[in-house]
Amino acid sequence: MNNVTQIVQKVRQAPWRVQRQWIGLFLLALVLMAMVAGIYLNVTVGAALAGRETISLQAMITTNQRINADSETQLARLISVEAMQQRAEAMGFQPVNPDDITYMAVPGYVAPSAVDLSTPGSNPPAVPIILPEYTESWFDYFMNKQASSDSAGGLP
Amino acid sequence: MKQHSHAWRFLSTAFLLAVLGIAILVQIVRIQISPEVAGVIDRGNYVWKDFYPPRGEIYDRHGSLLAGNKTVYEIGLDLTAKPDMPTVMLALQMSGIDLNDVNYRISQAPVNAQYIILDDFVSADKADYLMTLQEKAHGDSTGKNLDAVYLKAHYARSYPENDLASNVLGFVTEDNHGYLGIEEKYDNILAGIPVRMAVPADPRRATEYPTIPPGQTIILTIDREIQASIENILDQALVSTGSSSGTIVVMDPRTGEILAMSSTPRLNLNDYQSITTVFPGETPFNRAISQAYEPGSVSKILTMAGALDSGVVQPDTVTFVPQSIVVGGSRIYNWDGAAWGYQDMTGCLANSLNVCLAWVSSENMHSDSFYSYMQRFGLGHATGIDLAQETSGRLKLPGDGDWYPVDLGTNAFGQGVSVTPIQMVMAASALANDGKMVYPHVLYAQIQDGKQSNTKTQIVGTPISANTAHTISEMLANGLETESSAALVPGYRIAGKTGTAQIPLPTGGYDQNNINASFIGWGPMDDPRFLVYVWLEKPQSNKAASVVAAPIFKQVIEKLVVLMDIPPDAVRLQMIGR
Repeated sequence: MNNVTQIVQKVRQAPWRVQRQWIGLFLLALVLMAMVAGIYLNVTVGAALAGRETISLQAMITTNQRINADSETQLARLISVEAMQQRAEAMGFQPVNPDDITYMAVPGYVAPSAVDLSTPGSNPPAVPIILPEYTESWFDYFMNKQASSDSAGGLP
Repeated sequence: MKQHSHAWRFLSTAFLLAVLGIAILVQIVRIQISPEVAGVIDRGNYVWKDFYPPRGEIYDRHGSLLAGNKTVYEIGLDLTAKPDMPTVMLALQMSGIDLNDVNYRISQAPVNAQYIILDDFVSADKADYLMTLQEKAHGDSTGKNLDAVYLKAHYARSYPENDLASNVLGFVTEDNHGYLGIEEKYDNILAGIPVRMAVPADPRRATEYPTIPPGQTIILTIDREIQASIENILDQALVSTGSSSGTIVVMDPRTGEILAMSSTPRLNLNDYQSITTVFPGETPFNRAISQAYEPGSVSKILTMAGALDSGVVQPDTVTFVPQSIVVGGSRIYNWDGAAWGYQDMTGCLANSLNVCLAWVSSENMHSDSFYSYMQRFGLGHATGIDLAQETSGRLKLPGDGDWYPVDLGTNAFGQGVSVTPIQMVMAASALANDGKMVYPHVLYAQIQDGKQSNTKTQIVGTPISANTAHTISEMLANGLETESSAALVPGYRIAGKTGTAQIPLPTGGYDQNNINASFIGWGPMDDPRFLVYVWLEKPQSNKAASVVAAPIFKQVIEKLVVLMDIPPDAVRLQMIGR
């Protein structure tokens, strides 16, 4: 008992200990704040970099679309009627007359019809590319999780 | 003393930490308000940005590109960067850019302008050369660089086939507006919707940038190979007949799809600025839809179809055809001014007897029935074809101020009534397609979000019965065979009719020196897959359509049967029989 009293007195009598505790607490709070700020800064920088990259990719897409359009037009020029006629004549071909043609029945042959320029897979993806977890708030996230777990549980 | 020494150390450390903390705080604030950082991360600010979607492409029915896009450049100058103008002008000149245009733009710039556009729609090769010069001169210590010159890429219309199908396509000007033809008719869906909007400067909000959909791609019913062939035939025909202009239309009478349409002159669409030279005065851009004229005898097929359908005559109805007939107090003559004696209706058509047709309309059908049929065939009304600037022609009706009783007679053989070639083609489609008249159109399909939606066939009306259509087709085919027409193609049975029409003068009366020569026909008879209309204006080599227009029709058919893989009738029926 006496020892305990002495220790208490010693502690009370050492104000630097109290100061150190306060400083410790203050530093702890500071470290916590620094950690939060660091995480926030990290996320912000990451988002900014991703945004920059997105803009850069969008610019690249635009450039590539222009290059594609250029290439397509150049190709069309190379295979235009006039160009193909010149090439055919240079290779010794000549226009066919109806009298020169011999027709024969080819079983299963289907005459070519008009073009279909539908692009395969043009339907929007069934699953969103960016999951909602990346865009919703914490509150929405927990609410959605709660709602999904409730509905998953069901009734017996 | 010892405590004092410790206090000093603590104070020093505290001071250093405080300074460090303040420095960090100052840096944080500086970052927040720094202009260069604000350019990268700007939470609240928005910047205006223009988004121009690429114009939709135009293809023919087999996927050949008729109208596409290419990259061109806008060249601008940042005056705030204090550019060395002689260096800039020299670089522009070396790149092949017209300095007169550049000087004009500079002279028109406002006094306090910070940025001026020196030139626009500069070709990629010139821009590439300028960029090379810019790269070489970059960072020149004497200030003679091109760092103040900016090149901004954008799209411009390009037509790889130059003047092919130009009368159908139309063109696009530098302000991205379509004029004439398809480009004007479908300008809204081809151009897309340019958007100018405020976008967040904050890159973290890049997902908020709009996605501007490109203009819709469209596919035409035009067949590039057939189009090229008929343009070639038409060009040669103008030379061989000495005609002032010409028009050829090819349509699938079952669907109304225009397979080819050409009229003269044609324009190199990549040089659309020369339109005023190529089309002087009021020259129509596309005569097939924009120039109404008195068609003459080709119109007799409609009169006879109406008469047969109403039951007032039969193919074997015989009448005496004198050299003239009086209708509404005016005398109407045959084309040769001669009497033709007794003729049945097939003979009347085959010999193109005006007196006979005037007799049919005035003494058998009478005005109510005759004009009812003409209206049911669509005369006097635009067809609604999906091309810009279609005219409707004129069908005078009883009760109109300028209608006279004699018109009932003259209208029966295509005089005193004006139509466009496309109107005649639509009307004749009823004869070739079991009585069903189809809507002529040029749009085969449009592509939206990667999906192709095809244009459906539209039946405009059924002016005559299927039986009448078959009967008149037989009469016309027999007529061609009887007269050994120059339009006949060996191996193929075809229905058709010539038309030699007088040309009315603006001052009244008719031109005694010139005619319009036409031919309309379809085939193969048992399953028509093409309907062809040929019109030559003012041919000089001969004044009869049977001599000038019929051979051109034959040339077109000879090309069509090859390009459309249509075997001769005997072979085809044999194949079907198997």
